Formats: sequence, structure tokens, C-alpha cells
Amino acid sequence: MVADAYDAVIVGAGADGPVVAWKLAEAGLSVLVLEAGPFHGNKQWPKPHEDPGAESSSSLDDLSGELLDEQFTTREFEMVNNLLFGPADHRRGFWMRKFPGDGAILQCAGVGGTTLHYTGCHPRAYPAAIDEQGHWPIDYADLIPYYQELEAICEVAPAPVTAKEEVFFRGAAAAGWNLIDEANVTDPGYRPQPNAIRQPDEVLHVDAGYDGDYSAADLTGHTLAVSDISGDPHPRGAPFEEKAKRSSNVSFVPLALGTGNVTIRPNAFVVDVATDGGPTPEATGVTFRDTWSGAVASVDAEVVVLAAGAIETPRLWLNAGLPENEWVGRGLTIHFGDNVMGLWDEDELEGLLGRRTVEQQEGEDIAARFDYPGLGMLQTVGTTPGIGAILGFGASASGFAFQNDTTGEPWDTTGRLVGQELKRLLAGYRRMVQVLVVSDDRPHRRNGVTVQRGVADEHGPIPLVNYRPSEADRKRRDELARIAADILRAAGATHVHRSDSPPTALHLHSTMRMGKVVDDACEAYDVDRLFVADHSVLANGLGGPNPTLTGQAVAARAAEHIQERYFAP
Amino acid sequence: MPRHLLVERLGRYLYEKIRHLVHYKRGDRDLHTKMTFRATVDAVIPRTPELEAELGPEHVPGGLDIGLAEYLVTYVNHGFQLGFPQLGPRGTLSFARPVAKALDVAALKLVLRGHNAEPPSRTFVRPLIEADATASTSLFAAAGPFARLSPEDRLRAIGIVDDIEISVARSEDELFEFNGGLVGQLVVGFAKLIYYSEWQGYENYDEPPSTRIFSDDPGAVQSWRQTGFPGIANGYPALRGYLGTETGSLGDGEVWTTVDVAAEPPVHILHEPGRFRENDYETADFEEVFPEETT
Repeated sequence: MVADAYDAVIVGAGADGPVVAWKLAEAGLSVLVLEAGPFHGNKQWPKPHEDPGAESSSSLDDLSGELLDEQFTTREFEMVNNLLFGPADHRRGFWMRKFPGDGAILQCAGVGGTTLHYTGCHPRAYPAAIDEQGHWPIDYADLIPYYQELEAICEVAPAPVTAKEEVFFRGAAAAGWNLIDEANVTDPGYRPQPNAIRQPDEVLHVDAGYDGDYSAADLTGHTLAVSDISGDPHPRGAPFEEKAKRSSNVSFVPLALGTGNVTIRPNAFVVDVATDGGPTPEATGVTFRDTWSGAVASVDAEVVVLAAGAIETPRLWLNAGLPENEWVGRGLTIHFGDNVMGLWDEDELEGLLGRRTVEQQEGEDIAARFDYPGLGMLQTVGTTPGIGAILGFGASASGFAFQNDTTGEPWDTTGRLVGQELKRLLAGYRRMVQVLVVSDDRPHRRNGVTVQRGVADEHGPIPLVNYRPSEADRKRRDELARIAADILRAAGATHVHRSDSPPTALHLHSTMRMGKVVDDACEAYDVDRLFVADHSVLANGLGGPNPTLTGQAVAARAAEHIQERYFAP
Repeated sequence: MPRHLLVERLGRYLYEKIRHLVHYKRGDRDLHTKMTFRATVDAVIPRTPELEAELGPEHVPGGLDIGLAEYLVTYVNHGFQLGFPQLGPRGTLSFARPVAKALDVAALKLVLRGHNAEPPSRTFVRPLIEADATASTSLFAAAGPFARLSPEDRLRAIGIVDDIEISVARSEDELFEFNGGLVGQLVVGFAKLIYYSEWQGYENYDEPPSTRIFSDDPGAVQSWRQTGFPGIANGYPALRGYLGTETGSLGDGEVWTTVDVAAEPPVHILHEPGRFRENDYETADFEEVFPEETT
């Protein structure tokens, strides 16, 4: 049951909300977490996309690995439709956001948020992005204790090498780059991904002759089937908390529920933040709408924490009519990205790997990376074919490949691939390695989230997102794409394709920046008792590294400040 | 007025004229939508007899052979919702017709600009109905300007649809406008996602998730036969080891293979996992590669 009042109400159970919930509850506060999407793997919702189920969950005993196994089929099309940002009811479509051009926003709804389809990548920010780029009011050193604590909880460790990573590492070494073994990265080089994924069992070594069913009865850790983007509940048969990929529903939600002080209320879309109306208003609670029934309810809180992510947090602020601030919703960074793909001949692979295929469906999805503070990063990605086709060849800012001349470029083709070319290239699915370009784009005020009266859904005006990279943002990305092509060539790729992707948002941050909208404790400058603890407070794009760990570190830090400011004994 | 605006206005004007002249009945409109989606699928994932000699007969069939266009219409009609209060909590926005309209506008714009490589022709319509024995005459008649372009010109039209703002009437006094970029995402991006995914392997994808029947037979999905994707798996014995050196912390144990012999120390793949080093860091000498003003 959801009560009328709590010490803290948290809006959003994504990567960051559960961290705040756990920290506050551990200190003895009563906490309600409201989540717009469903709760998978929970006995209160045995069919989360078909029946409304129960109202809320407050017990560790509700979590069920068996249900998660059933619901997370790892079939890509089904999982994309179940996880992407929309209501739980499978008969309904995605919630609309308006995004410019051919790009898209890829976020999930549900307990665990976008960590449901993240690939477990948990690197730290680049120290120089925090200390030298002039965006952050706090130092990199302030984050380190939180990094260390959360890395231990999420079991962050160097990712294992399978064939696709070996190809990339050999290419990076041949192209003259050095190995990095450091947690705090200041120079360019390649290294394994620091992944929040339990390492695979040694029985899965290529020389060990494993012939089992990959279930928990047999082994622990990642089972080396590419499925992280599709939810990855492996090993099957493992209890909920023992799944290999440490998404926030697997890592922090059990910790939060284990305190006995946390209630999670899924299928609850927050549509308003209540304030007391003083000269500097104070937050007093929120109003939410049940996504199944449409019923609306309100709840009071001593402190309200917004953790709905870099699109919905500013949308909620704007729709709730909270005080205007020229940086609310502004400064969006998305790691303006690209995709570069290499294809190999069988003979070439035989010499490189000792076998005639790469088999990109094997391994962790993303397990090798290249860092370049000042530019951003590269990471290999193995995908199932549908996601690979849309990510690698589905969209382009430079039109269709047949319209583009690549003379003098380090790639053979660029643009959207279709027809015979698409089918020929994808016939080589098992001989290709894809590299994601993730660039260090900077916050610009023109980029971000606005709302417009009249363009509304059942939760009010929808987010209108604007994003246009600067000239320097573009140069950083293009330079990384060239480095990616060089690495693939150095590894012997016979065909290199560059997407030249339009702006597409997989990593979203900086729309409620620390130092602009919130203070360095993450409390809003213009509303007391209102905190923001999600990726929107990140003052820039961290230099390019995957943002989950830093978002969680800032959220953990905010939780300590909330206790100090409002709940000190 | 700039030329491109003039051309766009003329395109819209002509489109509206044609639309009023033709006076589609609902059934005809649905056929027109279907034909337009077939035309996109035929351009994006066509039949490719040319690949038979090079790659094998399994690489010949395309999207039309597995009903991709019809499913794409359904998906586009049900995949996005704005929960219009006046339509109840499950109100969805049927995008397929406005998408088909936008493609026709883009086709007319392309032709008016003279950017098509071949003249529009009914001969380009015929392959879209070859596989369909039912109602081929009415289907043929329902082909709009987009479907009459050559496959490559259809792609050129998709390429210019981005700058069209499309209006969808939600009710008499409300309009929702969306950016033409969404059209490309739907008819190119989502078409590829669906085609290359497991979608064809369901007996009943329109059923609720818990009652769907899926055959995980790699041979049952046409695109899997074309990509060689071996089907949904619970795991692979694919571990090679952990990157590291013999003196560093990253990996441990015996050398399985060497990645960089020339490096000092050499970089190996080792049998045992290690950890990242908690290093001291210095950022004072950081230099921007491509500087820009801080905001």
C-alpha cells in the first residue's frame, strides 16, 4: 500500500533513483519510489505487460528470478517493444517525444530504467572533464570515494575477451595505441571495459570443452551470449539478485527493499510537484497518474527527489510550473555518436583469430574500449542482427550510401545502407565487428528540452528535444570515427562502413546542471527541499565515458546531503 | 520566395489537388497506404536475384516475401501513442496514413525538382503486387506518386522527406505536427529492425507476450538464413581470457595468446582476471584537441 506521506518521495526508479532510495532508507528514512514503467521479475506483477497487478512492492521476497527469466526472453524485437519508454500495457505504443531529424531517444521505462538495456559499462569519468573543462563546481577527487563504494557493490571488473574484443585489441595495438590499466584515465589508449557484470565462469573458456545448458545450476556470471541490450537475465535459474548483469534493479533495488523502509510503486507517472507557494517555494509532495487506470493520487513528502532522467525531469519541472531558470532543460549532452563497422574475409580471420568467423553474438555486448580524453571514446559492440541493422545502417545524416562518394576517406561506404548492399553486408554478420563512437560533446544552451502547450499526451505537454552539435563537437566525433576506421583497418578489415549517424540519444545528461539549476548538493536553487539526483545534474558529458557510474555516484552523494540538510539528528 | 519553398508549396498544392480529385474511399485509402508501404519495403529490403550466384538462393527473398509491409503498417499504427484523453487511455495515433501521404508529397517534390533519375511509371508498381493474387487491379490503381517511382528514386524521396512538417488532425480543433525525420526512421530504420529480428519466428506476435509462441529454429526466420545468425542462445563457450601484462594488475595467470609483442611489456590475453589500478592522476597538462568556449 502507498501511504499518504513519506520522508522522501523519489520520482523514477532508473539507474539513479534506487541508489538514493537505498542510501536514505539505510539511514532510517521512509521512502516511496514512483516509477512510470512496470516492475519486471516481481511476484506482485506476474504478467507486467498484460495485467495491472498489485499496487506496490515493499519486500525483498517479492523479487523473483524465475519471473525475470520468463519475462526477459532476450528476443530483440519483443524486448525492444517491452522495454523502450512507454506504458506497461503491451497494447499501447511508445510515449512520444519530439526529436529533430532522423535521430531518436533510446530510454527505457520500468524499475531499472535504461539500465535494463544498458550493457553494464561502468567506467569513471575522465578526470580532466571534471577538473579542467570548467563546467563542474566540484572536483573529480570528490567523486572518488563514491566511485569506489559503488564499484564494489556493482562488482565492476575488467570485461572478458572473446573473439570480437581480440580483433579490436589487435587492431588498436597495431595502430600504435597503448594498453591502459588505470581506473582514472588521462591519456589515450585501449583497455577492457570496466563492466558491472559478474565475470564468466572459467568453464566457458574456449579450451574447456563446455557442453552444458548455461544455467545457474552449472555456472555463475555472464554466459557470453550477447543479450545485454535485450535485458540479459542470465544465468537462467539464478535468483533475481544473482543475475550477472548488475542493472540497478538487480544491484540497488534489492539493497533498497532489504532495508524494510522502501516502497516501490511502478506504473505511476508523476505529473505534478506540489510546493507551499512561499517566496522561495518548498516542495511538499507530488501527484501521479496510474498508467493502467488513469487514476490520479497525491502523496506528501519532507523532501522530493527528481530522478526521472534528463528528458522527463526537466519536462516535469516545466509542466509543474516550477520557477523559471534559464538553464532548466538546457545544456543537453548526448555523447553525439556514430557507428563504424569492419568486415573481414574468412582467410584474414583465420590468421588473426585461428577461426574463420568473429561470431559477434558471442561475449558480453560491449567489452572493449578505447579512451581519448578530450575527444571521447570508442567501444566495440556485438548486436543481434535487427538491432545491428538499425544502429549500424538504419539512419544517417548523409543520406543513402549510394549517394555518397568516399574517395580519400578511410571508409569504403558511408550512409544508410539499403537493398543489395545491405543484404550483402549483413550476409557477413558473423564476420563483422561494430565500433560505437561516443564523443565528448559539450553543453550548449540551445540544446535541451522544452514543452509546448497543446502538444500533449495524458501526462501533459510532451518533451520537445532540440540538439545541434557545435563545430568542435562534430570535429571530435569525426576524429574518433577516423581512429575507429584506422583500428579496424590495422586489424585487417576488408570493408569499413561508417554510418555518419544523425544525433541519437543513448546517453542523456546535463539538462539540470549542477551549478546552474541545482547547487553542489543537488538541491534546486529555486525550490527548497527539491533535489535532482539523476544524469540531468551532470554538468557536462564526463568527457565521453558511459555515464551510469557517475550518475549513481552523484546520486549517492546527493543522498548524503539530503540527510545532512533535512534529517540530521 | 526561395525556390525550395516554392517547390514545396507547389508540391503540397498538387498533392491536395490530386487527393481531392481521386476522392479516396476509406477502403481505397487503406490500399493506398498498403501500396506505399510495399513500395518502401521493396526499396529498402528488396528481392535480390542478383545475389543468388554470389551468395546462394537463400539470399534472394526480400521483405515483401514475408509480409513485412503489411506488418509495418500495423506497427506504425499501433507503435506510438499520445494517450489522447478524448480517445481514452489507450488512444493511439495512427501514423501509417500520414506517413504514406508524406511519402507522396516527397515524391512529387522530387519530381518537381527534377532530382529523380527515372521518370515515374506504372511499371515500377507491378513488382509490388506480383506476389499477391487478390485484388491486384484495385491495388494497382491505389498506387500513388511514391509507389510509381523507381526503387532508387523512392530512396531519394525518403531522403528529402525530413524537411516536411506533417500535421495529424487529432480532433477538429487540435493538430499534432511531427517532423518528417520520423518517416525515415519508421520506413527505413524500423523496417530493418523488424526484418532482421526474430519477428518472423512468431506464430502469433499480436498476442500478449506470455502467450506468444516462438520457434527458436534458425531456419524458420528468412533473415536469419541470410545473416547466419544461429538463433537465441543462453550462452557460448567463448571465453579467451583477460587482457593484461605479466607485470601489471589487469589480468593474471598463464598467457593464452599475445596481442602486442612489440609493446613493453608485451600485451597478452591471460587466463585469469585482474583489476584496474587506482592510479594517481594529473590533469594540469590537459589540452583541448578542438577547443571551444565553456558554457
